[in-house]
Amino acid sequence: MLDLTKGQFVKHVVMHPFEGFEDLRWKKQGSMGIAFAVVCLLFVQQIAYNRLYGFQYYSDYDKIFNIVPYLFRSFILFGTWVVANWAMCTLFDGEGTMKNIFVNSAYALIPYIAGYLIGTVMSHFLIQDEYVFIQSVEVIGTCWSFVLLISGIKAVHQFSFGKTIALMLLTLVAMVAILFLLVLLLTLFQQVLIFILSIYTELSYRFRV
Amino acid sequence: MSSFKKLLSLLSAAAVAVSAMTVNVSALETYDPYSYDRWGDAVASQAGYTAEKYVDGETIGCGSLFEPADLFISHDDLMYIADKGNNRIVITDLDFNFKKEMKEFSYNGETLTLKKPTGVFVDQYTGNIYICDTENDRVIKCDTDGNVDRLFTKPNSELYDQNLTYNPSKVLVDKAGNVYIVVKSQTKGAVMFNSNGEFLGFYGANRVEATAEVLANAFWNLIGTQAQKDRRAKQTPIGFSNFDIDDDGFIFTVTDSQEVDTDLVKKLNPRGDNILDSLGAADMTFGDIPPAYYSIYSKKSSLTDIDLGPNGELNILDFQHGRIFQYDKECWLLFIMGGSGDQLGMFLSAAAVESHDNHLYVLDSRKNNITIFTRTVFGEIVTNAANLYNDGLYEESLEPWRNVLKYDGNYRRAYIGIGNALYNKYEYKEAMEYFEISISRGRYNRAFEGYRDQWLKDNYVAAIIVIIVLIVLISIYKRMRRRGKIVYPWEKNRKGGV
Repeated sequence: MLDLTKGQFVKHVVMHPFEGFEDLRWKKQGSMGIAFAVVCLLFVQQIAYNRLYGFQYYSDYDKIFNIVPYLFRSFILFGTWVVANWAMCTLFDGEGTMKNIFVNSAYALIPYIAGYLIGTVMSHFLIQDEYVFIQSVEVIGTCWSFVLLISGIKAVHQFSFGKTIALMLLTLVAMVAILFLLVLLLTLFQQVLIFILSIYTELSYRFRV
Repeated sequence: MSSFKKLLSLLSAAAVAVSAMTVNVSALETYDPYSYDRWGDAVASQAGYTAEKYVDGETIGCGSLFEPADLFISHDDLMYIADKGNNRIVITDLDFNFKKEMKEFSYNGETLTLKKPTGVFVDQYTGNIYICDTENDRVIKCDTDGNVDRLFTKPNSELYDQNLTYNPSKVLVDKAGNVYIVVKSQTKGAVMFNSNGEFLGFYGANRVEATAEVLANAFWNLIGTQAQKDRRAKQTPIGFSNFDIDDDGFIFTVTDSQEVDTDLVKKLNPRGDNILDSLGAADMTFGDIPPAYYSIYSKKSSLTDIDLGPNGELNILDFQHGRIFQYDKECWLLFIMGGSGDQLGMFLSAAAVESHDNHLYVLDSRKNNITIFTRTVFGEIVTNAANLYNDGLYEESLEPWRNVLKYDGNYRRAYIGIGNALYNKYEYKEAMEYFEISISRGRYNRAFEGYRDQWLKDNYVAAIIVIIVLIVLISIYKRMRRRGKIVYPWEKNRKGGV
C-alpha cells in the first residue's frame, strides 16, 4: 500500500487532507527540495498577483518595483512560521523536527498558491462582473490550504485537534515576537554601522592634511 | 568598429529628426507647465495659455492702481477693477482704453464715497452695478452714472448675530435679482437679500470637516447632558471666500482655507446644495496636489477666486502658488499656468481672475497690474477636444485628441478620449490599449468585455472544436496512463505495480 514516490506523495497529501500527512509521516517520503520549490512558487505567486493580474481588476503603481515586500511575504514569513512553530512545539512536547514542519507547512500551501495562480490566469479572461468566479477559486484554495495546514501540523506533532489549534495561535504570537526582535536587531546593527562609519569619517578627516 | 560608428551616427540623426518633429509651443513660458498623471504625480506638459503682456494703471491712463482687489468683466465687455487702495472703481474696455472711474455716488441727495472696495459685480439683466464698500459696511447698488438705488447694510434680524462685523468682500446677483454677499466673518454662508433689500437668510454654507476632534465631540454630545453640550465649543465650518455665477444660475464657490479639504470648490443649485457631489466631488482634488515636484515648497493651495469661462470651464486661482488651474465643466483638469515670482506670467499676490473669449485676466494686488493670458494653439486644440467630448461627441473628438497627443504625450485625458471614441466605433482592441495607457480600469473593463464578445462571436466554432479536441486528448491520455502505456522516467524506480 501507498508505495508512492516523493513526487506522487505531494499529490496524495494535497488530495487527502485528513490522512495524507499521517501517511507521509509514516512513509517518511517528505522532500525538502519539493518543499523549497513550493516556497519559491509562493514568492512567484505573490509577484504575479500584484504584477500580472488582469488590468480590469487591478493596476499597481508601476513606476517603481520593490522586491523586499514580496521577499517578506513569502520567504521571511514562511521561515518565521517554521521557526516559531518549532520553538513552540518543544514547549508542547511535539514530535516534529524543523525539517518535517518545513515540509508539511510547504505542502499545505500548495492549494493556496494554485488557487491564486489560477485566479491570476482567469483574471485575463473575465470581466469585473464575473469576479465572483475568481474569488471563489481563491477562497476555496485558501480554505483548503488552511485545512491542510491544521492537518499537517497535527500529524507532524501527533497532537489532538484542540492542541493543534492552540499551538498554531501561539505560533502566530511567537512570529510577532520574532519579527519584532528582528526589526530591533536590524535597527541596532544600523546604529552600530553608523557609529563605525562616523568614526571612519572622523579619522579620514583627521589624517587627510 | 565602423558598424558601431555607423549605428551611432544613425542614432544621432534619428535624435535630431525627432527633436525637429516635436512641436514646442511653451518655450516662452517663464514657468514649467505641468499637469498630473493618474497617480497624482506632476508630469511635464505644454502650456494651454501663454502670458502675453501685463497692463497697469499708467497704461490704462487712470493713474496707477493701488492694491486692486477684484476684477469683473460685464456682459457688455467692460472691465471693472475694484481699486481698493485708491477707493475707486475703474472701468475700461477690453483693450484697456480708460472709460471712467467711479468715486462718488449720489444717494437721496447726499454724496457717498467708497472706502476700500473689494468686490464689484454687474447684473447682466438690469445693468446695475453692485460694489462691496467693505470698510463702510455696505454694498452699493447703483446705475452706471453712480446714482445709488439701494444700500445693503448689516441685516437687522434675529438670525444675524449683531456682534459680528459686516465687511462685505464679494457680491453677486442672480436672475431673480437676489443679492448674495460674502462676509468674511460669517461662516453660515453668503448673506442673501432679495431685490427689495430684505434679508432672506444665508446661502450655501460649507460643511464641517470630519476631523478626529469633530468626531470625538459628536460622540461626547451623544452621551453628554444638555449643560455639558452647551459648554462644549461649537464646530463651525469655514466660510467660503469667493464665488461666481453661471448663466444657468448655478453659483460656484471657493474656499481659501489651507486647513480643510471639504467643500473647497462647490457648485450650488438655488437651494444651496452642492451638486458636484453627484459628479463624485469627494474624489476630486482642486488646486495643487502636494507634494508637487514642480513647486519649491509643498504648501497646500489657497483657492481665492473662481471664474466661469465661456464653455463652463472653471478657472480657479491659487493665491499660495500664484497659479491658475483650469478645469472643464466636468471638473477634469485642463491646464495649470502661472507661478510665484516677479516675471511675466507669475504672481506675487494674485487677487482675481476673469475670462473672456480665449483670454484670461489675472489681477495682482501687489504688482498692481493685470496679466493677460491668451490661449495657445495647444490650448485651443485641447479645449475643442474637451468640448466635443463633454457634449458626448466621442467620435468627433477622436482627431482633436490625437492632435493633442502630438503636442503632449503626457496628457492623460487624450488617451481616455481616444479610447472612448474607439470604443464607440467598436474598435475594442485599440480602445483597450489606450485605456491601459491612461490607467482607467473601469473603461478598460468595458472595452475588454466588448472585445471578448467580439472574439467569441468570431471564433465560436473554432473554440468549440478546440474544446472537444482537448477533451478527447485528455481522455485518451488518461486511458493510456491507466493501461501503463505512458511511464515517466521518474516513475521507473517505483516499487511494486501501478
